[in-house]
Amino acid sequence: MSQSIFKLVDELPKDNLTVKSLQALDFVIPCEWKNLVGFENTIRTVTGETDEDMIQQIGDRAVYLFNDKSQGYQTALWLYQTIDSAGSALGTAALANKIGENVGFLSFLENITPKADKAQSIDLSLKVIVELLAFCQINGLPGDSIGDFLGALGDYGGESLMRMAALVCFDGLLPLGPDFILSVGDRLGQMQPSDLKENQAFNKISDFIPGGNPAGKLSFIGESFGSVSSWMGNFVGDRGLTPQLVAHNLSKYVEIADDKLDYVAAFLDMSTNYYEHTGIQTLAHRLIERAVAEI
Amino acid sequence: MVKSLRKLVTVGLLSLLLFVGITACSPQPPSRFDQAQQESTQKGAKAVAKKSEQGSSFNKFFPKSGNGYDRVYTQEKKGFAEAKLKKDGKDMAMMAISDTINTPSAAAKFEKSTTKIEGFPAVQQGATATALLVGDRFQVKVLSRSPDFTENDRATWLAKFDLKGLAKLK
Repeated sequence: MSQSIFKLVDELPKDNLTVKSLQALDFVIPCEWKNLVGFENTIRTVTGETDEDMIQQIGDRAVYLFNDKSQGYQTALWLYQTIDSAGSALGTAALANKIGENVGFLSFLENITPKADKAQSIDLSLKVIVELLAFCQINGLPGDSIGDFLGALGDYGGESLMRMAALVCFDGLLPLGPDFILSVGDRLGQMQPSDLKENQAFNKISDFIPGGNPAGKLSFIGESFGSVSSWMGNFVGDRGLTPQLVAHNLSKYVEIADDKLDYVAAFLDMSTNYYEHTGIQTLAHRLIERAVAEI
Repeated sequence: MVKSLRKLVTVGLLSLLLFVGITACSPQPPSRFDQAQQESTQKGAKAVAKKSEQGSSFNKFFPKSGNGYDRVYTQEKKGFAEAKLKKDGKDMAMMAISDTINTPSAAAKFEKSTTKIEGFPAVQQGATATALLVGDRFQVKVLSRSPDFTENDRATWLAKFDLKGLAKLK
């Protein structure tokens, strides 16, 4: 059985490596993200209500909604958690690969671990997919037209926007460089379905990816990445983001070697869980919005 | 001497394991939401009834953007649809229609209603929400998300819903 939603939100860390690395991105989206933790605290902050009876009703309804599997909230949680745990394994493999390139006696590692760039490209694309899938599990397909749906997607703020900022900075710019959008698009275009089958994260979430067979799913992944490319490109361009700028700001919060960006990216992959952390916050936020409207 | 030392170490280690075991298994502090957690995880418990109206049915009854406000649809689930009102990019209010077949206590609060909006019973809820009940079933609610969006604003926007249209939905 899934952990209760109130326990998940109560146990969100106030301060750890994940939180510090996200705080380091405040320069990207100033004041958008405050690390909101604690279930009751979230109810009070989201709704602005202080009446204890109302808070009880809101929390109770949110608990009921989360525990009803048909409503999709547990699937969304599973997606956020799964993509982060797959990332941890990926980070370890990529780091081992990096060490293998530079240290002679460990060079055999290059033969048995995925190439860092290809693996990071898949990781980035799958995180985009998870975001789209989790969005639909949590919010449905809002409105009556594609325009309405894109409007909902484009309305990202707070913890959801921070998740996307971290995706661009930690999974895009740092490991893959300033041209990551082009290079990932190219790599996806050249990929074979068999490349996906070797990928642990893909295998875990593939049942939820539309497209039928692996070739169809690869096509869906490529199209989805393509559809968010201009959003990501504008996000980077509007803010003048570069790998060096991200690493420089990160080094104020986390001790890193800011001239070894590949290692930094792999280290973050291994030791942070920003998708799960901000994903739980998004889930709580949306559940509470729905609960207070329904009671 | 060695035997007694070994015995001491064994006892010490066992005590430590027992202590760690007890503290690790000690019950979690109770939560005010434990009862809801227990009830909602019983076999057959559901938050949304099979007979509930789909959220997609509700979208057309929402007010359109206007008067400097942008309407952005944000959620559409079974029994629920929601949109946000933004002004100059800032979140001002949430608007929602929900099917009280899923939340009977939500409908029950209107029994105490003493006011009407557009002929439908209305209640103030908490410090930030105003709600109507349409057709004895569908709850229409506007919730302030900015101190600049007042109780009067909520009443104004509630009246902008196509309430008569919603009343015909069954």
